[in-house]
Amino acid sequence: MMVFERRLLLRDRGTGVLEKLWLIPWSFVLLLCAVAAVGYVALYSAGGGAPEPYASRHALRFGFGLVMMLSIAMIDIRLIARLSWLGYLAGVGLLVLVALHGQVGKGAQRWIELGPIQLQPSELMKIMLVLALAHWFHRASWERAGNPLFLLPPILATLIPVGLILKQPNLGTGLITLMIGGAVFWAAGVRWWKFAILIGAAAVIAPIAYEHLHDYQRARINTFLDPESDPLGAGYNIIQSKIALGSGGIWGKGFLQGTQGHLNFLPEKQTDFIFTMLAEEFGLVGAMTTLVLLSLVVFFALAVALRCRHQYGRLVALGLGVNYFMYVFVNIAMVTGSIPVGGVPLPLISHGGSAMLTSMLGFGLLMSVHVHRDAEFGAARE
Amino acid sequence: MPHVPPPSPDSPPLRHPRQAPVGHEEPAPPAPGVVVRVTQPDLARRAQLERSRGRLVIAALGFGTLFLAVAAKATWSTVVMPAEPKRLNAAVRALQPPAQHAASRAPITDRNGEMLAISLPVTALIANPRVIENKEHVADRIRTVLPQIERDRLIERLSGDRGFVYVARALTPREQQGIINLGIAGLDFEEAERRYYPQGRAAVHVLGNVDVDGNGLSGIERRFDERLRTERDTPLKLSIDVRVQLALRDAVSQAISDFSGIGGAGVVLDINTAEVVAMVSLPDYDAGDIGGATPDQRFNRATVGVYEPGSTFKLFTAAAALEYGTANVNTSSFDASRPIRYGRFTISDYKGKNRWITFPEMLAYSSNLGAAHMAATFGPARQREFLKRAGMLARTPIELPEAAAPLVPPANSWRDINMFTISFGHGISVTPLHVVTGVSAIANGGILRAPTLLAQPPGTVREGTRLISEQNSETMRRLMRLVVTDGSGKNAEVPGYFVGGKTGTAQKTGPRGGYIMNKRIAAFVGAFPMQAPRYALYVMVDEPTPNAKSHGYATAGWVAAPAAHTVISRIAPILGLVPEDPANPAIVAATEIPLQPGRPRAATASARAAAPAVSPAASRPAEPPRASAPRPAAAPEAPALRAPQPGPAPVQPRPLPRAVPMPNMPASPGSLPPPVPLRMTSADPSAPVPRREASLATR
Repeated sequence: MMVFERRLLLRDRGTGVLEKLWLIPWSFVLLLCAVAAVGYVALYSAGGGAPEPYASRHALRFGFGLVMMLSIAMIDIRLIARLSWLGYLAGVGLLVLVALHGQVGKGAQRWIELGPIQLQPSELMKIMLVLALAHWFHRASWERAGNPLFLLPPILATLIPVGLILKQPNLGTGLITLMIGGAVFWAAGVRWWKFAILIGAAAVIAPIAYEHLHDYQRARINTFLDPESDPLGAGYNIIQSKIALGSGGIWGKGFLQGTQGHLNFLPEKQTDFIFTMLAEEFGLVGAMTTLVLLSLVVFFALAVALRCRHQYGRLVALGLGVNYFMYVFVNIAMVTGSIPVGGVPLPLISHGGSAMLTSMLGFGLLMSVHVHRDAEFGAARE
Repeated sequence: MPHVPPPSPDSPPLRHPRQAPVGHEEPAPPAPGVVVRVTQPDLARRAQLERSRGRLVIAALGFGTLFLAVAAKATWSTVVMPAEPKRLNAAVRALQPPAQHAASRAPITDRNGEMLAISLPVTALIANPRVIENKEHVADRIRTVLPQIERDRLIERLSGDRGFVYVARALTPREQQGIINLGIAGLDFEEAERRYYPQGRAAVHVLGNVDVDGNGLSGIERRFDERLRTERDTPLKLSIDVRVQLALRDAVSQAISDFSGIGGAGVVLDINTAEVVAMVSLPDYDAGDIGGATPDQRFNRATVGVYEPGSTFKLFTAAAALEYGTANVNTSSFDASRPIRYGRFTISDYKGKNRWITFPEMLAYSSNLGAAHMAATFGPARQREFLKRAGMLARTPIELPEAAAPLVPPANSWRDINMFTISFGHGISVTPLHVVTGVSAIANGGILRAPTLLAQPPGTVREGTRLISEQNSETMRRLMRLVVTDGSGKNAEVPGYFVGGKTGTAQKTGPRGGYIMNKRIAAFVGAFPMQAPRYALYVMVDEPTPNAKSHGYATAGWVAAPAAHTVISRIAPILGLVPEDPANPAIVAATEIPLQPGRPRAATASARAAAPAVSPAASRPAEPPRASAPRPAAAPEAPALRAPQPGPAPVQPRPLPRAVPMPNMPASPGSLPPPVPLRMTSADPSAPVPRREASLATR
């Protein structure tokens, strides 16, 4: 698939590293540092008022991620585009590998060990899917985007990883991956009515699918509908999280003063429920500040997409924006009891290497799009 | 300003990226003077970009809306309608027995007087089916008040040709009033009594249960059935501390779920009185709902489950070798360089060192070969005798009807191969309570006491039998501490509490004999604080599976030792132990032992050199940990407030014996020692002549 002409790549070789560094949106880097700092504070508290075991590792990972992000931002977006499908294949390969040899944690195969780091390939897959789909639609004209045959390969390319993730089983991440793929389809110009048909079909299939869900997944949906029905079992998380939120009030109980978190009422406070921990200790004010910082990250991605002059970068930026938005939205909606609990972390804030590193990888790609926003490559085919 | 190269001749005449104003975020219109030539593909691309711009704006609006929705929800839950934690005080108060009621069965309390089982008056609903006319109609009306009764069963019950049936065993006053208001003829009430267990699952296996008529069926309820009926006004006080019990249950349950185990057990023993402070078996069940419990839930893994103890048993091998004087902790070494072959069996080490190892190394690295060779120094007969004295060959004398006898080879077939395998805890199966009782005798100064579930009055000194000498007990404490500081038990350490112990991973045996791969028992047995032990504990997970958290291991060091860490860090403050400075030189000196005592090392040499200097301080380093400040009067008889136990553990910091060059230690990995007989360390002149298996083992 040599879509991009070699000479375009060669011609731009003159762009110096210094110039690219100048083009990097440093305000955005600062914003990411602010978000990670919020994470450090929260994890310091989750660690019982000590940098160990969470906060110090968080800082280390962020530092590593920062270097990685800036390095990726230097890579020419056209080179990245050429490698899109290779990355996609690697992602699917890792998912297959995890299905065959992965570590089983809490009843599901999600992890894979690569040397010292543990990777959750489904996190990586979301980014690779965005790249691959953006590559496919890069040259798609409005007419082509309406052609069902043209849509068939990318649909398959979306469903294969989604299927593998659902099989792990990881319902939440599978659905999120599906939505990210859908967002790229939509931004590429796939018609409204096709989405309407799909959503309609999903509404019909959902009750049938419910029958095939695992018991714990059903329990999540049921407790979402009525958390009080099982206050000591599956509903415990949501109820404790709500109590923690409510006890925070406007100004919070103060740093390290959150009783729900520090007395271990709140489960998984360093990962999924970190936002609750923040809200309990810093109140509505702290929660809103965090939310504003996180939404700025997402809107920056959209701004990059709007500003970009090529379709590939635009779709990549949008897809990555949706990816981060999904984390933020699902996590916060989950801890406030708005959607069923699904084990989705809050990257850059919660504890966990996989989500942090893949997010930083995504931000690196986003910056590469921004740095190379006016790069020339490929026009739409008729 | 960045360097702008001249346009190359083959570059298309489109806008060049570097002509964009550097650093600007806004899209800039083409600078005046720049030629823009529009081609057909370019137009198509622009149209595409225009369309996707529209969709991007819609996406931004959608994100904004959803963010606002989340923000609104967060505001709602934090400020507008904050959720309140449920206060349970009212419910607890309701369980206090009414003053005028004389229960027919004495309550059971924990050691601090916390209620564990209590009989409360209830009203039973009875019926006379012969009088009741329209069964279905009556059943429906009863179900308006008691909807939990199944309709079919109720009709069937009301239909028999009998004059008396129970409809419901325990009515609340409100339900009773509801039935009265129905005004149905043929229904009546009967004053009855019901056994309640306010702590739910906390101590179900200890308490046991009663039948509907209040007869003890299992556990303490059965063992003390007579006592509970006759002395109904005095509560039966157990040695259990329900706070410790809950903490232990929590930690074991967490370890089971972390490693997807099928069950687990835990015991905390007061090391000086052998009182069981906590005893947990998981899975468990709600004490009020024995009918809904599966056999697996009713099974008490701590006293009925017999398991191969695995490497935890090496403590007994080491203690026996010290007690019989057949091995010396400072000078003995054992051949772990090659597997022992005996008949069709091969004994080898898990992650072996493949060299000669010292006595402390045998425990720290948990060497099967070391243990086997060590056992060979005293032989099978004395091994059996020692284990018999340690109580390993008989049922534990715990006050529970559910106490299993261990599975041991009969005396006449306790051969050399049994000795080898038993030395590292295979080929013998005992209950967790056996292990922890024996280990507390090893660590408490050498006195074995029968474990008990009844609270002992403060200051009681219980009778016991001497298992090992006080000096050997002190050596064993140092060795147990070494396992946690330098060996397989590192994850159990709680800074300041000087934990000591031993890990043990045993393969499970199948129904037809033979070991099952990947089905293990991971256990940790230990005591703390090692300078003057107060509590012994045992934590076990049944069939753990490896996961990312344990880096792919399911061995005890990764499964049970962290659980023991959790238990100790939670219960030690509850039990009133104050942590010491982890670097306190006096305590460190009283609890340490070098891995290779025979080898002069810089560290040990300097420690010896420093020893005289600190001797005034070190002469009494082992005061029992200070009791915490008096706690509220709620728990006046808490063990923490007792005077320090008399008896064991006035630890005399024995100066480490002078280093003796160890003849059997190879100077370097390359030079193997000359072949020596197995009993190379035999200090006992009466040791029998070397026997056949010795030559076999070292062949």
